[in-house]
Amino acid sequence: MTWKRICEAAEIPENSVEKFEVDGITLVVVNYGEGFRAIPPICPHMEEPLAESGVVARCILTCTKHLWAWDLRTLEMQGETERPLKTYEVKQENGTLLANIEGELTYDFDDAAGDSDDDDFFK
Amino acid sequence: MKVTVQNKNGELTFDCGERESILYAGLRQGINLPFECATGTCGTCRARVTSGDVDVRWKDAPGGARLKPDKGDVLMCQTRARSDCLLRVPSELIVSDNAGPAVRQGIIRGLRPLTRDVMHFDLHLTSPMSFQAGQFVVLEAAGIAGGRAYSMVNFENDVERLALVVKRKPGGRFGDWLFDNLSGEAEVEVFGPLGRAVFRPEENRNFVCIAGGSGIAGMMSILECAAQADYFRNHNAGVFFGVRTLADAFYLEQLSRFAAASHGNLDVTVALSDETISAPLHAEFPILKLASGMVHEVAAKGMAEWDRNVIAYVSGPPIMVDGTIRALIVGGVPIKNIRYDKFS
Repeated sequence: MTWKRICEAAEIPENSVEKFEVDGITLVVVNYGEGFRAIPPICPHMEEPLAESGVVARCILTCTKHLWAWDLRTLEMQGETERPLKTYEVKQENGTLLANIEGELTYDFDDAAGDSDDDDFFK
Repeated sequence: MKVTVQNKNGELTFDCGERESILYAGLRQGINLPFECATGTCGTCRARVTSGDVDVRWKDAPGGARLKPDKGDVLMCQTRARSDCLLRVPSELIVSDNAGPAVRQGIIRGLRPLTRDVMHFDLHLTSPMSFQAGQFVVLEAAGIAGGRAYSMVNFENDVERLALVVKRKPGGRFGDWLFDNLSGEAEVEVFGPLGRAVFRPEENRNFVCIAGGSGIAGMMSILECAAQADYFRNHNAGVFFGVRTLADAFYLEQLSRFAAASHGNLDVTVALSDETISAPLHAEFPILKLASGMVHEVAAKGMAEWDRNVIAYVSGPPIMVDGTIRALIVGGVPIKNIRYDKFS
């Protein structure tokens, strides 16, 4: 477990999406009211920056580019979403938001396909 | 040529002619290859060629900015097969039995300015087309690289004439070419119909149309379809038409006629982003409301009163569509009820 400090939880208003850099790793934190999520900064669909195009409402994060969306309580994919959202584990200690960052989370294509030189398709 | 597209669930093989893009070949055979603009600007139709020879027409297409050509990445709308080939596509694919889009030739006639930078034109097809209200076609003219997407303004079944509208933009070669051809006729290749932001009366839903500029085109087709079905006898709808100033608005007489025939159930508001309004109703067409502000903000004002299951149609410049989608989501419209077209 490598817990790293992101910010004070109070710095992120409810229903907002904010970008942070922690030890050279860029991530986005979402306050969805019932909790927080820390995720890679881009949408797993077409790499749209979520700090700009992401919107949180009623516990659902939607990327406004093509309407991919995830219920942040369960991470269940909504509508036409085809790829799951990757997340860093988060916790709060005395009002400080921490994320468990072992290494940067990135989205790969077809990592189960067995084509070893193709695992960064569209990365 | 045979093109095989693969994804993590399997693969599909289809024929591809020498002179058609891989995207069009798949779409006309009922395969839902991913795409959005069909004209090289959005990047949605990206694929990786893993074997076979291909030709890429517009190598600098803006939609290809994040691709790696050295690894075989292409935009399918810009790519033609030179041999049988294999492509990897990062999305789920299904084949549909419904008639897909097709290629036709068309002649542009009846060019008529509607405002200082908006022109109506008729497209006469070599064979009839049926389409759903809200769909579009992609036109390509000899000598102008890349296609342009236009939503049908009319709505009829099996029709040989499509009514389209174009807004002239600075440096827009297709628009310039059309405006310069005002007195004559021009030949184009037509692919379509395309688009899923469609209205079908049998869905029985109240709806809202939010349009920016020439995005009103497809909305006119939706309203025409609804009017033909006497839809507003027992459904209601709102239209928000965003333009800069009142002088930039068009189709106001048609919109006024739709509203007048709607049993009071169609509400139309023209939203002026660059002009303050002097009265809440249009002077010549007092059934049309006027408001000042960006169209998505004007639409959002009344959102709390909308039917919870309303279908929202959105069309216009990409920034306007993104802003409107954001406002709809924040306002509580479920994403499954949002249908949009974004033409870069």
